[in-house]
Amino acid sequence: MSDYLPFLISGLGLGAVYALSGVGLVVLYRSSGVLNFAFGALGAIGAYVAWSVLDAELPQALAWAVALATSMGLSLAYGRLLAPRLAHRDPTIRSIATLGFALILMGFTEWFWGEQPRRLVLPTDADGLELGEVRLTYTRVLGLALALGMMAGIGLLLSKTRTGLKMRALANDRDLSALLGLRVLQVDTVAWVLSGAFAGVCGLLLANIVRLQATLLTFLVIPAFAAAMLGRLNSLPITVAAGIGIGVLEALAITLPGFAPFRTSVPFLVALAALPFFRNDARKA
Amino acid sequence: MNARAHSFLPPNCMNDASLLPPAKAQARLQLQRDLRAAAQRARHSWLLMLAGLGLIAIAVPLLANAFWMKSLISSLALSVAVAGLALLYGQLGLVSLCQHALLGAGGWVALRLSHGFGLPFELCLLAAGLCSCGIGMVAGLPALRLKGLYLALVTLMMAGAFQVLVSATGFPDGGDGWLGRVVGSERLMMARPALALSDEAYFRYVAFCLAAVLSLIEWHRRSRAGRSWALIRRGEAAATAAGVNILFYQTWAFGLAGFCAGVSGALLAGGVGQLDGRAFGAAESVMMLALTVVGGVYHWLGPIISGLLMRAVPSLLSDFNVNGFLADIFFGAALLHALITAPQGIAGQLMGALKALRQRLQALHETREARQA
Repeated sequence: MSDYLPFLISGLGLGAVYALSGVGLVVLYRSSGVLNFAFGALGAIGAYVAWSVLDAELPQALAWAVALATSMGLSLAYGRLLAPRLAHRDPTIRSIATLGFALILMGFTEWFWGEQPRRLVLPTDADGLELGEVRLTYTRVLGLALALGMMAGIGLLLSKTRTGLKMRALANDRDLSALLGLRVLQVDTVAWVLSGAFAGVCGLLLANIVRLQATLLTFLVIPAFAAAMLGRLNSLPITVAAGIGIGVLEALAITLPGFAPFRTSVPFLVALAALPFFRNDARKA
Repeated sequence: MNARAHSFLPPNCMNDASLLPPAKAQARLQLQRDLRAAAQRARHSWLLMLAGLGLIAIAVPLLANAFWMKSLISSLALSVAVAGLALLYGQLGLVSLCQHALLGAGGWVALRLSHGFGLPFELCLLAAGLCSCGIGMVAGLPALRLKGLYLALVTLMMAGAFQVLVSATGFPDGGDGWLGRVVGSERLMMARPALALSDEAYFRYVAFCLAAVLSLIEWHRRSRAGRSWALIRRGEAAATAAGVNILFYQTWAFGLAGFCAGVSGALLAGGVGQLDGRAFGAAESVMMLALTVVGGVYHWLGPIISGLLMRAVPSLLSDFNVNGFLADIFFGAALLHALITAPQGIAGQLMGALKALRQRLQALHETREARQA
């Protein structure tokens, strides 16, 4: 068992990020019907902004704040300016449109900051907790805590507050809610900002764990789509469980002889294996 | 859309009630006339496509230098794959995000057969097309249960899995064993067809293949398959009620799209000589879908434009020393523009502009004639 412990713990870190991304995607999809393919790009641009702030030797708290504000602001801008123009189209088209936004953000980031990969080194990387033989940097601890906190927060928001009630109403039936006088645009705004915040946190963590490169970060979100898919784009608890499970499995796959070069395919294989259990929704007229 | 609605109205000269034959006969006559006109338009469009590609095949090798020859060969080869993707998106409304992965699979098969058995290029091309056709059919099976967004996600997962697979194993380059990887010695290039060894001849060869594939798709669209696809798009209940075998025709569409991807992969491998495993990420498949929509999915010009956007535009930018990532910004904006205001893509806008120009010229001509009279 102790042989597997280091992989288990590094898997938990990656899984937390997958879960966090999955939750950010599902929260937005439930309330506005858009699956945000620009999620990774939003996180990437936030991470680059944080890198610039740290590069100017400003405090880390400010870097986090500015990065989150960038992601949230851009997400909000898309949600309010461009998304409503497609509001009457079906969810597939609305989601494909976010690909366009992702390309714009990715192109801008690569052009503005240059394409050489770098690493986002946070001051909290320097020290860490000793857990048996495994060392956990404070950034990972912070990331895990933040992930758990944000997921608990979003759960509370959805179940206890009036905004959460409205979001659940929209998720249930968008047209009917609008007919009852719910301010759809207002709720959408909240959802886009929340999703942007999740994207910002994920971007920072991934830039720290993997590396800071816009193209990579934009498409690193694809495994998170697997988690969201397992949660059927609807259930937050299942998405969280799937995200963490996928992360741990991916890390444990290193120990499988001969499978190590293919281990990053674990999220896709898990998602594809789950396909036969999906509800048949093609028979609608 | 509007044009079609108008054409079903009776012409002005027939509004006189005393001249009207019984309404039913009139409507049937009008329908027949409209159908005949539509068939003629489709035939004209097809002949125009053949003529256009023929012209390109003759003119481009005379004008372009070696660098542009290579990049235009890749563009036309990619157009073949885009044609398949445009078929799925335009005819059935299905979003597939694994077309570039299927292209890679086709390229792999073509390279392996060419290096391993020294088969002639045409056989490799056909085998690549058939292999990708089979994989495409399997990839399309989930679409029978999952529509829309889920299909996009499932195909994205497949593209992701292919990315991991191919970046770990790489493409065959003349070595031994099942994977055909060279260790140590020089990497081999794929043999080109005996007919087309030079770049110029190979460009014509690719243009011919593109014309053949576009004709194949056009033939499908006009036959029973095209009508079945239109019904499936309307809704599966309607299609079932009309007696369409959904399993067969939907799988057929995916197979046809896969065939296009495989042929495209073999053509690309023949053009470049070898393929790079790192160039077949999920991002490429996503980019291909975006540019397919930008180019236009309802007209044969669309895939050609998309192919140019994918390879020729980046070459053009590097010619002018512009940062290539600015192209991404442009592509993203173009995708949003296409989805929000121009669902027929660049091809539709070009055709619309041509039509408006022709109408204006005609009006000018008529007023001049009236003045002279």
